[in-house]
Amino acid sequence: MTAVLDLPSTREEAWRWADLGALSAAAALAPVAAPAHEFLDLPGARLLFVDGVLDEARSQLHRVELTDLPTSDHALGRRAAGKGWRLSLDARAAADPVQVVHVATGRENHLPAHIHLGDDAVAQVVETFVGAGWQNRHLSVTLGKGARLMRSVRLLQPAGFVSLREEADVGAAASLVAVFLGAGGQGSRIDARLTLGDGAFGDYGGALLTAGEQRQECAVRVNHAQPDGSSRQLWRAVAADRSQASLAAAVEVARHAQKTDGEQSLRGLLLHRTATVNLKPELEIFADDVKCAHGATVGELDARALFYMESRGIPRARAQALLTRAFVNDALERIGDETTRAAFEADADAWLEASLSRRERSVGSTAPRAVEILPGAEPTQLGPLGAAEGEG
Amino acid sequence: MATKNAEAYEAVSKKYEWGFATDIEQDFAPKGLSEDTVRYISAKKGEPEWMLEWRLKAYRRWLTMDSPDWAKLSIPPIDYQDAYYYAEPRQKKTIASLDELDPEIRRTYEKLGIPIAEQEVLAGVEGARKVAVDAVFDSVSVATTFRAELKAAGVIFLSISEAIREYPDLVRKWLGKVVPQHDNYFATLNSAVFSDGTFVYVPKGVRCPMELSTYFRINAENTGQFERTLIVADEGAYVSYLEGCTAPMRDENQLHAAVVELVALDDAEIKYSTVQNWYPGDENGVGGIYNFVTKRALCQGRNSKVSWTQVETGSAVTWKYPSCVLAGENSVGEFYSVAVTNNRQQADTGTKMIHLGKGSRSTIVSKGISAGRSDNTYRGLVRVAPTAEGVRNFTQCDSLLLGDQCGAHTVPYIEVKNPSAQIEHEATTSKISEDQLFYAMSRGLDQEAAVALIVNGFAREVLQQLPMEFAVEAQKLLGISLEGSVG
Repeated sequence: MTAVLDLPSTREEAWRWADLGALSAAAALAPVAAPAHEFLDLPGARLLFVDGVLDEARSQLHRVELTDLPTSDHALGRRAAGKGWRLSLDARAAADPVQVVHVATGRENHLPAHIHLGDDAVAQVVETFVGAGWQNRHLSVTLGKGARLMRSVRLLQPAGFVSLREEADVGAAASLVAVFLGAGGQGSRIDARLTLGDGAFGDYGGALLTAGEQRQECAVRVNHAQPDGSSRQLWRAVAADRSQASLAAAVEVARHAQKTDGEQSLRGLLLHRTATVNLKPELEIFADDVKCAHGATVGELDARALFYMESRGIPRARAQALLTRAFVNDALERIGDETTRAAFEADADAWLEASLSRRERSVGSTAPRAVEILPGAEPTQLGPLGAAEGEG
Repeated sequence: MATKNAEAYEAVSKKYEWGFATDIEQDFAPKGLSEDTVRYISAKKGEPEWMLEWRLKAYRRWLTMDSPDWAKLSIPPIDYQDAYYYAEPRQKKTIASLDELDPEIRRTYEKLGIPIAEQEVLAGVEGARKVAVDAVFDSVSVATTFRAELKAAGVIFLSISEAIREYPDLVRKWLGKVVPQHDNYFATLNSAVFSDGTFVYVPKGVRCPMELSTYFRINAENTGQFERTLIVADEGAYVSYLEGCTAPMRDENQLHAAVVELVALDDAEIKYSTVQNWYPGDENGVGGIYNFVTKRALCQGRNSKVSWTQVETGSAVTWKYPSCVLAGENSVGEFYSVAVTNNRQQADTGTKMIHLGKGSRSTIVSKGISAGRSDNTYRGLVRVAPTAEGVRNFTQCDSLLLGDQCGAHTVPYIEVKNPSAQIEHEATTSKISEDQLFYAMSRGLDQEAAVALIVNGFAREVLQQLPMEFAVEAQKLLGISLEGSVG
């Protein structure tokens, strides 16, 4: 536990909204039985880590190997040192999707990872976090010229904390797309730094859904080090009860990185007056021929849209649910793979359903039963985690 | 078009023209900062005991604090012992009328174009409004004009040291209420050593009959200026206040740490305009003023309104966030800012809008212009408390980059705890397009004049918020500050 104490304080700008006190609390969680986990129905490698240790019997490594990895100097990243998983593809190689499921049974675990794609190589990685405790990950990514990496990460722990530190070096004309979904009951910090090469494309975004006393945040910095790069940061936050969702996204444009095109869209939706959404769309620009736009809004659902739907005969609760779902799906629709996207959307729906039905109950109206609120979200699609999460 | 052309030419053909120093005899406090310095200043002002205690408390607190480092500014460590904290023009006796003012000082203000005499009209314009001026020279207020006329209207317009003597209860009631002593490092330092500044009280239902203005001038070498301004607008009152500042060109960095507190009660309105033109240092970043300012307004009453307008063209380093605490129901906060940086200047400026009252609204329009090798940062906070229903905020931050060696940064913070709030934030970063330049130049402007014209257009939304007298000066300033930044 003493290791937790030397983390940065919230007086430092980059950690202003961080909830680092939650780390020791998460690490102190008593061990629980390993929860059920599900791999998506995708071909390719399957890695199951239980408390940061590979469960070889239930994993298929394919091209992934376990090896010693270099350490980071980041406050959280440096804790995840030592042996981790690595995916390394040669030039022009294309791998089947890699699925990684991280199961925690309490306490804390740390694991590094490294993804290297040679020139024009293509890969897809899907990660899922379940269980309870503090899971800390450090990922470094290097993409060669023209390489393409698609990542999808979902945080579905009912309790505890997930901290991710990611450092990516995106080569010339390469593309990195990462979509995050925080739909569990855990606290989180998604802390990333991307460096974009000549004409590279970086897209970091996702949706953070918070309820109860939960606090989730992202802190992503995209650095345009070379000319002609473009970046997208599209984040959505939905905060219910007394929770707090924080989105801090920064674009840095280096002196000679002309013709950069950076776009940020940060939007927050508050479901209760006790919830908090914090936004910080930051621009740091040293080049004079760039296009950088950011938009940030916080509020509740658009009253006119609600009225329109109600006037068409849609009950209020369902209209709210549909609009909220559309709001969240903005961030998820960039997941390229259909199976993965459907799974992420179902997780988000499960969260919305639980949260909105709880809200209707607390308001005391005659709300329809939970399953009726969102027509697409049948209970069978939710999986064991959705049910568990609904109780929290 | 022809007149605009001439104006633009005139604008870009000048350097910092307020860089002269006035040679007068002055009294200094011993160099350095200690409890003795604080006691010296207090004694010099003939302050009551409570004021001295207040200062000492701030000084002791200051010793325990660290200089803030979160702003995007690179400042070499400041040696607080290597400065004079008090400099006063030597006077043989107290002056009975404005005519007895030291002619050197009078000439200084004439050179700066500040009407110390109670001129009927300004600049020969028939029907122009009158402006009452409080002139602060280094550490003391040397003249305050139009006293009689203001007194007739019930408006108190005094230097703050006089106000502490003449209206102790009123000052004591509000001093440090909006910006607490220990608010931040520089505000605490100011609380300990503030020398002079302006106090304004506008009583119930009074609309101040003229613009009030304070003109700050740093003259002495190695001297810091620490002024304190307190403006209270009672129920239904209105006041418009202007502030201008200049300093001589010197090779060392001088410190300016001011605190401004505004209080608006029910239905009151305060309009506060600043044209900040401290010496910015030369093109290699030698010299210039370090400008650390804490400005905050408390909109305490229902329907109260505070509007900050600032044109920031000077200072080597600017650290300034005029803020509004919108506590009253339906209170309104506005912030209009143009910040220009050139050469090696650094500016980290913006605003804080703290929404506590129901239905409170705020508007933020910030225009940042960077040239040379400068850095210009907008840093702003919009916070909505859980109890503040129906809050509206609109923020617009535009940055203009002139040249490829400068930086423009935007750091907006949005913290919302009430779902009924509508918060919108927009930002753009751009440069002057070839098309715009070509168009202006094909109409006969040279490149610098064309740039000055386009920049004035870029900043127009803010400039038009300024009172007329200042708008002209501000427009001229923009052109001068950008001189040499193109081509």
